[in-house]
Amino acid sequence: MVKTKLAGTILVILALAFFLVSLENASAADVKTEIPYIFGKIQDSQLQPVKGVEVSLITENDSVFESRQSTLTQADGSYALKIPIPVPEKAELLFSRPHFQQKINSIPAADLKQLELGNSVSFPLVTLDREITPAFWIAVIIFVVVLILIATGFLHNTLAAFAGASALLAISYLGSPFLPDLYIFNFPQAITYIDWNVIFLIMGMMMVIAVIENTGIFHWLSYHAYRISGGKMIILLPVLMLITGISSAFLDNVTTMLLMTPITVQIALALNISPLVLLIPEVFASNVIGVSTLIGTPTNILIGSFGNITFNDFLTNLTPGVFLAFLGLVGYSWFTFRKELTEEKPGSPLLLEKLGERGKITNPENLKKAGWIGAGMMLLFVFGEQVHLLPSVTALIGASALLIWIRPDIEEMIGAVDWTTLVFFMSLFIVVGAIQEVGLISAIAEMIGDLIGQNLVLAMVVVTWFSAILSMVIANIPFTAAMLPVIAYLTLIVPGADSKVLFYCLSIGAAMGGNGSLIGASANMITAGIAERAGYRITYKYFLKKGLPALIITVTISLLWLLIRFT
Amino acid sequence: MSGILCAIRGGPSSRPTIATSIQLAQETGETIYFLYVVNLDFLTHSSSSKTNHISQEIHDMGEFILLSAQEQASEGGAKAEGVIREGQVVEEIISYCEEQSPIYVILGQPEEEGEDNLLSLERLQTFADRINGACQAQVIFSSEKDIPHEKDQDEPNP
Repeated sequence: MVKTKLAGTILVILALAFFLVSLENASAADVKTEIPYIFGKIQDSQLQPVKGVEVSLITENDSVFESRQSTLTQADGSYALKIPIPVPEKAELLFSRPHFQQKINSIPAADLKQLELGNSVSFPLVTLDREITPAFWIAVIIFVVVLILIATGFLHNTLAAFAGASALLAISYLGSPFLPDLYIFNFPQAITYIDWNVIFLIMGMMMVIAVIENTGIFHWLSYHAYRISGGKMIILLPVLMLITGISSAFLDNVTTMLLMTPITVQIALALNISPLVLLIPEVFASNVIGVSTLIGTPTNILIGSFGNITFNDFLTNLTPGVFLAFLGLVGYSWFTFRKELTEEKPGSPLLLEKLGERGKITNPENLKKAGWIGAGMMLLFVFGEQVHLLPSVTALIGASALLIWIRPDIEEMIGAVDWTTLVFFMSLFIVVGAIQEVGLISAIAEMIGDLIGQNLVLAMVVVTWFSAILSMVIANIPFTAAMLPVIAYLTLIVPGADSKVLFYCLSIGAAMGGNGSLIGASANMITAGIAERAGYRITYKYFLKKGLPALIITVTISLLWLLIRFT
Repeated sequence: MSGILCAIRGGPSSRPTIATSIQLAQETGETIYFLYVVNLDFLTHSSSSKTNHISQEIHDMGEFILLSAQEQASEGGAKAEGVIREGQVVEEIISYCEEQSPIYVILGQPEEEGEDNLLSLERLQTFADRINGACQAQVIFSSEKDIPHEKDQDEPNP
């Protein structure tokens, strides 16, 4: 019995010893079989990292080249290629990616020796050049067609962008099996171009706005603007412009003008003046002051997300300049409409009384709650950057907190989200992604880079005015989305531009440029649509006549501010 | 059959229509029914989720335009009421005629070719025929030159 116990104990000890020795051997084997890597980075001619480049190890075997190992580059352009053992005596690296010229670089003999010893080596930086294929022209044509469809209104914005995105993918999938040069990108690549930070920020803000717009706050503010002014135009005009502008800085411009235009028409009718003398300055103010915050315009949301520019950055670098531009705009508006604004006309007591009846908060409880949540969101926008809180997350937190607090009909709230706009943005990101993928953006960036050279002041002037003029005639959202990589390139190559000042120039040009023509901004079209329903038509010619000087004044003042601050 | 239907949308282009209807009401003693149609076609290319809210806002704006017209009628010694409908302007006028059978329908006549108005000159007669078919009302065309008026300001009414 004792012998059996002793034998059992010895067996257990032996088993344990064997297990421990096996573990040690296993570790030793890992060390011995450690595989060496070649590390490196790939960039394009604009010094931007290139993602998705296939890096392959090519060896010669009986005069036949074969690929023995391959990997793809990451978003930062880096790669780590595993080298098989035994390491070949002669080997090359092949770099290939659609829309780039293939490149083959030999691995130096010294590096191969290091690899043989089990040491990883770092390969020199590789720069790939673009290749123009039929896919390039197809992507460019589709992008231009989408822009034309949007500008002419032949198709709904969303439908135009959605059809464009579908066409790009259809050609890539159905055309490339027959002609490989038709390949633009595949679906997983296409959706990587969608900026989800932008989508969720817009969605969250839409829910918050849906609650605020039903509280009667705009009626209340406008009526009190009239009361404070006592009907004196010299006070009423700037106060209404300020209300519209500040609202546009936190809500989107279209919503602001959708709500402000009918009320302004009522005020004007009650005061017996043409609504246009108030509406036109209001829409100008909306387009100008909207630029002052990250969430004020869709273009700022795009710029902030792409350029990693925070809410505070916009407040400190742009808001003072925008305020100065606003002062200039008030002066211009007064001057241009002085005849109508100074004309003494008796108001209608009946309509003024009706105005007073409507100038009330219809849902004070919801307004109070929205006010608290809105204040909390502002704090998160301002201080959230300390913990790298994305604006989209703040918008989602705010929207969900508000919905939980007020418990609205959730179907109604989901319906309040403008899904057509979100689909427009997603489709647009894909369409713009395609021209980025095929190299059009790089070509434009290089061209502008050559034109500007190393001169920061010239770069600021060119970017601002180029954006402002183009935003007059093409939709500023697709334009901004396409310009972002160009600005990123200029920020890299122009000395002093690392302050991201060129992104602010783009912001000013793209948004304030909307004042130059009726089709320059959606808010202009909405205002014109409602004004026409009241019998006051805003023609293209009329808007151009009033808007072009407003554009020149506000863009010049804002640009001067940026030049003083950043140069 | 009773009343005068006067479809308006506000602004300078409605002035002759309102003035004609007041003049007719003074002569006949009939009540004027000012009709404003809320039409949201301009939202086709944006903000579809806000249609309900904006419909209410434009409805309120229409009430103001009607009140303004009623005030003018009252000053002219005519009795007037306001009616708001939502939809396509032409169809709503026809529909109102079928339901209420007014004696007179006042329509604004474009001043010149290409002017933005309810209907072009060519289509105006067709529209009048449709109204006749719907309620046998007498259709009266009104224009700026038919009534004494102040000169429109050039700037605010392009």
